[in-house]
Amino acid sequence: MDVVGLLIFGALAIGIVGAGLAVVFVDRITAAALLMAFTFLCNAGMFLLLGAETIAAFQVLIYVGAITVLILYGVMFTPQGDRPYALFFQKQTPLAGFLVAAVAAPVLALALTFRDPGIAREGGGDLQPLITSIFGDYAVPFELASVLLLAAMVGAIVLVKRDEEDAK
Amino acid sequence: MIDRVWLIPALPLAAFLVNGLFGRRWLGRWTGPLAASALGLSAVGATLVFLEVLGGRAQSVVTLYRWIGVGDFRVDVAALVDPLSSVMLLVVTVVSFLVHVYAIGYMEHDHGLPRFFTWLPLFVFAMLVLVLADNYLLMFVGWEGVGLCSYLLIGFWFERNEPAMAAKKAFVMNRIGDWGFTIGMIATFLVFGSMNFREVFEHVDIASQGVLVLICLAFFLGAAGKSAQLPLHSWLPDAMEGPTPVSALIHAATMVTAGVYLVARSTPLFQAAGPALAIVGAVGALTAIFAATIALVQFDIKRVMAYSTVSQLGYMFLALGVGAPVAAIFHLATHAFFKALLFLGSGSVIHGVGGEQDMRKMGGLRRKMPVTYWTMLLAGGALAALPPLAGFWSKDEIVGAAFTNGYPLLWAVGVFTGALTAFYVTRALWMTFHGQPRDRHLYDHAHESPAIMTVPLVALAVGSAGVGVALGFPPEGGFIHRFLAPVVEVAGHTAPEHVAVEYGPILALAAVSVVAGLVGIGVGLSMYARHRPDPSAVARAAGGLYTVLVNRYWVDELYDHRFVDAAKAFAGATWAFDIHVIDGLVDRLGWVATGAASLLRRTQTGVVGNYALSVMAGLLAVLALYGGLATGVIGR
Amino acid sequence: MTAVPLPAFIAVSTLLFFIGAAGVLMKRNAVVILMCVELMLNAANLALVAFSRRYGSVDERGSVFVVFVFVIAAAEVAVGLAIVLSAYRNRPTVDVDELHQLKG
Repeated sequence: MDVVGLLIFGALAIGIVGAGLAVVFVDRITAAALLMAFTFLCNAGMFLLLGAETIAAFQVLIYVGAITVLILYGVMFTPQGDRPYALFFQKQTPLAGFLVAAVAAPVLALALTFRDPGIAREGGGDLQPLITSIFGDYAVPFELASVLLLAAMVGAIVLVKRDEEDAK
Repeated sequence: MIDRVWLIPALPLAAFLVNGLFGRRWLGRWTGPLAASALGLSAVGATLVFLEVLGGRAQSVVTLYRWIGVGDFRVDVAALVDPLSSVMLLVVTVVSFLVHVYAIGYMEHDHGLPRFFTWLPLFVFAMLVLVLADNYLLMFVGWEGVGLCSYLLIGFWFERNEPAMAAKKAFVMNRIGDWGFTIGMIATFLVFGSMNFREVFEHVDIASQGVLVLICLAFFLGAAGKSAQLPLHSWLPDAMEGPTPVSALIHAATMVTAGVYLVARSTPLFQAAGPALAIVGAVGALTAIFAATIALVQFDIKRVMAYSTVSQLGYMFLALGVGAPVAAIFHLATHAFFKALLFLGSGSVIHGVGGEQDMRKMGGLRRKMPVTYWTMLLAGGALAALPPLAGFWSKDEIVGAAFTNGYPLLWAVGVFTGALTAFYVTRALWMTFHGQPRDRHLYDHAHESPAIMTVPLVALAVGSAGVGVALGFPPEGGFIHRFLAPVVEVAGHTAPEHVAVEYGPILALAAVSVVAGLVGIGVGLSMYARHRPDPSAVARAAGGLYTVLVNRYWVDELYDHRFVDAAKAFAGATWAFDIHVIDGLVDRLGWVATGAASLLRRTQTGVVGNYALSVMAGLLAVLALYGGLATGVIGR
Repeated sequence: MTAVPLPAFIAVSTLLFFIGAAGVLMKRNAVVILMCVELMLNAANLALVAFSRRYGSVDERGSVFVVFVFVIAAAEVAVGLAIVLSAYRNRPTVDVDELHQLKG
């Protein structure tokens, strides 16, 4: 029994779930954004625990680095005045809560029934096989993904562009 | 010329097209001369055809093209040129030509003149197709065509209500007859397998007596509608709302004779169906006397002539019914001349007195309109069947045949009607042309019509005088009898009038008719010239009878009440059904759709979160389904 | 490294996913909703990597998919924020319960 690993897993799990709940229930948006970043970090830790170092690195870079910043930008550009908007819930909250709980319960139950096959993996991490797959079998989807990113970038710029008349 | 016989109807058709397309904007007053010239050329063509048939080409079929060829049903656009059709061709084209020339003058001041000369040649075209057709279906095309043009021309002054209604009435009553024609046509095809005249007449023996009677009665219904016989007669007097040249051409000389032509052409059919012939004769005789009695008391000069036409058409059907089809056609030809003349002359009178048609306002006009007077006098004499004018020869032959072929009652009716005819025509002519002018103002402004109108009158007068002798002398053995005899005897059926000609009985019968006519004239002159007895006194004395006649036996009122009101009620009921039930059904379907939409629209809250919630709900449903399937709760 | 059983990872992933789903359905602020969507995507990533590393064969197909999820998530955040900013320009609100002009 690898006690250390279990302990680390436990800590990370508590971090993820706790921070996630906090994102939903906390009143200040900025705090929620930072807690979200913390969730991302714990997730990166999970990846490390699983042995996927490259993915963990990407997680930190992209999620904690770029996406969190984007979210913070969004928070900055939409000030709501005095009221702590983050706290307010939609009108449909009770029904939503019930539905989510109803769906989550069976899925959780199903999740707990998986067996661990106990496959031994060769050491060395995941970098080599990952890159081999990406630039080998999945080269075309990779390129398409980059096109998608370009399109999203252009689209985002177009969406927030002010028309000349608006500026005047 | 016979091989080019299609030119004869083609010329008026061309006139119709040219006048129709270019008349209003560019041709204007030239439409009249154009149409008249086309008719003139047609008349020349008809004469040439007639001479060729006379010269020996007794029966020819000139086929243009195959119109319908479906399985066993085959109909060609083809002309049957034989003595009967060539006589009709001649009569139609000559009278049409004279009427066209007359109308150039009569319609001179009418702003619808180009339209008039568009419809009039179209009518002649349809009539010629009717006459030339070699099968019932093509004849029906012409039949419908003349009905259409009759409608268009009666309602020529449609801005007024009466002509529009009269045109509608004429068309609807004709339609009833057309229904009969159609049934006859279809039955002919079902029984004989063809609509072609020759093919049908050669195989008359195929059909049983009962079926033949049915077919003939169906055709006679069509003829009754077109030729204004009882009970479908009342459209003809109303048709006088149309311009006088129309009345002269269509409702005297040509269209109304189409019914007579139909029955005459179908002689082999009718002669094999004895009861049908009897009905034809009876209806004809009844119509003749019925219409003559009404003509006695009419004050509108055109109405007198209209009822006279109905009456004379009755004579033609009487002739057909007693087995004298040649006499019927003979009378058709002579009547065309003198009746057209009477109408055109009436038109000349009306034109000369500035539009007045009521004879009670006329009088003494013979000094003001001499040409009109003398020509009408001649025509009136022909109508009254005075020898040696045309009407005498033809009408006398009809009544004579009635007697000799064994129908004494019909003979008596014919003679008595002849007396009535002579009376009312005398009355009409006297009231118009003789005596003291009853309306001084009218008289002072009366004038003779221009030459373009009087010359056709004179031409028709010559015809009225001479055609009878030319065609029918000696009686029973004249030119027309020999000419038409082959047509009315087909495949062994000899015409019943082919009995040995004895002049004794013929002269005796003729004398009786002439005496009856003279009596009628005499009574007329006595009542109107010397007022012995005074007409108004007679009217008062006749009392109820007079009222019945003046109200024309209340036939129109009867039809209005029985049929028209019933039709209107039915129309109202179906309209209500349409509005409430059918429209209601559709409307309710619409409301259902709209209502369902309003209900469903509530799901579109516009709040995106609600949509996401529904996704989650769907996910729940899928999970439930999966779970049910997996655990076997849901079957299969 | 086989100490932590696979179902544990999957359970964590499931929990995180449905917490994020609840946030999407319950919060009013559009930016917060976007954040919760990121939580859901992370949960998916975790599950993918867990299965890939524990179940998978030699190549890392699950992880390849995770790379693509990264890309998609980034693009989606960018565009989503652009939309939220445009809506904010119209009326200075990001309350999704008040943005219901498409009603009806």
